Amino acid sequence: MSYYFVIVGTEDNPLFEYEFGTSKAGGDGQARFPEQARHMNQFIVHSSLDIVEEVQWGTGQMYLKCVDRFYNNYVSCFLTGGNVKFMLLHQPPSSSVSSTSNPRSSTSTIATNPMSPQTEEAVRAFMLEIYESWVKTIMNPFYRVNMEVRSPIFRQRVAAAGRKYL
Amino acid sequence: MKVFGEIRHEQVKIGGESGKAYSSLRSTDLFSAAAIMGILALIVINKAGGLIYNRTFGDGLNQLGTNDYLVLAGTFHGVHAITTRLSPIKPQQQVGADGIPGRPDPPSGLEVLETENFWLQCFNTLTGTKFLLFTDTLQTNVDIAMRKVYDLYADYVTKNPFYQLENPIRCDTFDRKLNSYIRETNNAR
Amino acid sequence: MSASKAARVGEEIWKGRVDKVNAELVVLTYGTIVAQLCKDFDSDYVQVNKQLDKMGYNIGLRLIEDYLAKSNTMRRCSNFRETADMLAKVGFKIFLNITPTVTNWTSDNKQFSLVFEENPLADFVELPDDGRAQDELWYSNIFCGVLRGALEMVQMQVEAHFISDVLRGNDTTEMRVSLIRYIDDELPPEDD
Repeated sequence: MSYYFVIVGTEDNPLFEYEFGTSKAGGDGQARFPEQARHMNQFIVHSSLDIVEEVQWGTGQMYLKCVDRFYNNYVSCFLTGGNVKFMLLHQPPSSSVSSTSNPRSSTSTIATNPMSPQTEEAVRAFMLEIYESWVKTIMNPFYRVNMEVRSPIFRQRVAAAGRKYL
Repeated sequence: MKVFGEIRHEQVKIGGESGKAYSSLRSTDLFSAAAIMGILALIVINKAGGLIYNRTFGDGLNQLGTNDYLVLAGTFHGVHAITTRLSPIKPQQQVGADGIPGRPDPPSGLEVLETENFWLQCFNTLTGTKFLLFTDTLQTNVDIAMRKVYDLYADYVTKNPFYQLENPIRCDTFDRKLNSYIRETNNAR
Repeated sequence: MSASKAARVGEEIWKGRVDKVNAELVVLTYGTIVAQLCKDFDSDYVQVNKQLDKMGYNIGLRLIEDYLAKSNTMRRCSNFRETADMLAKVGFKIFLNITPTVTNWTSDNKQFSLVFEENPLADFVELPDDGRAQDELWYSNIFCGVLRGALEMVQMQVEAHFISDVLRGNDTTEMRVSLIRYIDDELPPEDD
């Protein structure tokens, strides 16, 4: 599975981007988006923001789970209290999709099935961990609202959370 | 150094006829009646010898004129400076536990002045501010009262951002806290 | 007062006589001040350092009185080594609940370093990555001013500056403090 994680500010502006791959089931943590489709990730996530805005008032939850799907791309979202959106696009390797006929099949692992309850939980844990690092990062007195996050420490923490849960 | 001794009216007239201010210093003028007890007055003098605070506690106490208080503060400051030089004992060079020569303790100067009618305790802080507490001669635990006054000063005067250091103290909270503390102490007797 | 006794005194005052305040509030307040200064002075970090030192100096002038009252200090330190211990183990302890290490004394006992293992002002802080802040801004420079102001009130003229800071990527946060002179009352020239 390949992941594209992006934090979107209150004006729908990107604050932080990070691409990584699964570290579960022998994954090496490298993103493997097809080269010709990689630039689509931003567009896919951006178009899901409309759906997020529809769903966000419905549940009262910060974690909105998987909100959108575009072909083989699944988008999960986590909202902070300040309406900053953590968006995670996951893309299973194309080979496994063809072999998995039932996306709700209980035997699937996080690595292959983006819709399984296990994946949902793993993404929740991932988001919560990042939320914690995020709060610490924006406590930096030199950070201003909706400013791009360039902290290398934050990037490391996101990477660590990715390795740990996904 | 402690200065003990009966100071009679005549002796206190340091300035002689030259100044009305000095003659006002007579102890009986300041606190007339034996009926008034406890802590009677507080004066604070800054490190340059300027009066920055004075209050009397209780009714029926004699008050000096504003100018007289200023002169009193300045005079006391001078007298205090003189008493620091009076000690016949040479300060000895101190050597710390680690064998490093240190600074000798500074001479304390006048700490207590006792008269027939009142007791004056002077606390000179390490920063050079002087607190003068006037009490009746029977008052005990003046040291504790002094500490408390210093605590209140540290809290409500120096920590008040609008108080300018070394200037006259006009802090309502300090006044209130001080008054309630003194009333409590005086009532406890 | 010996170093171990100073540590005990500091601990006691911290436990019994000090009002506590939320640490994040302090961090954010101080952080906002520094960030605002950087903005006001157009990222002229030399100026920002100066301003922080000046603010600290004014705090020190006042804070010393609170220190003396709380610690019930009745006599002055007998030498600069004692002063250093009292600073680290009582002063920093009661106001910030940290105890920096006193070290790197010069042989004349007039210069030492305070090494901060933790710095409550700098939680969450990452210096601006404009390529200059890392080399020019001393984020916690207010401490230098506080020491200078407080010690001046008790007749010690000192100079204090940071020589390293973990925020800049150094291994330690270290402040150098030097005694310039004791400000003793100047005696009027004697008539002979």
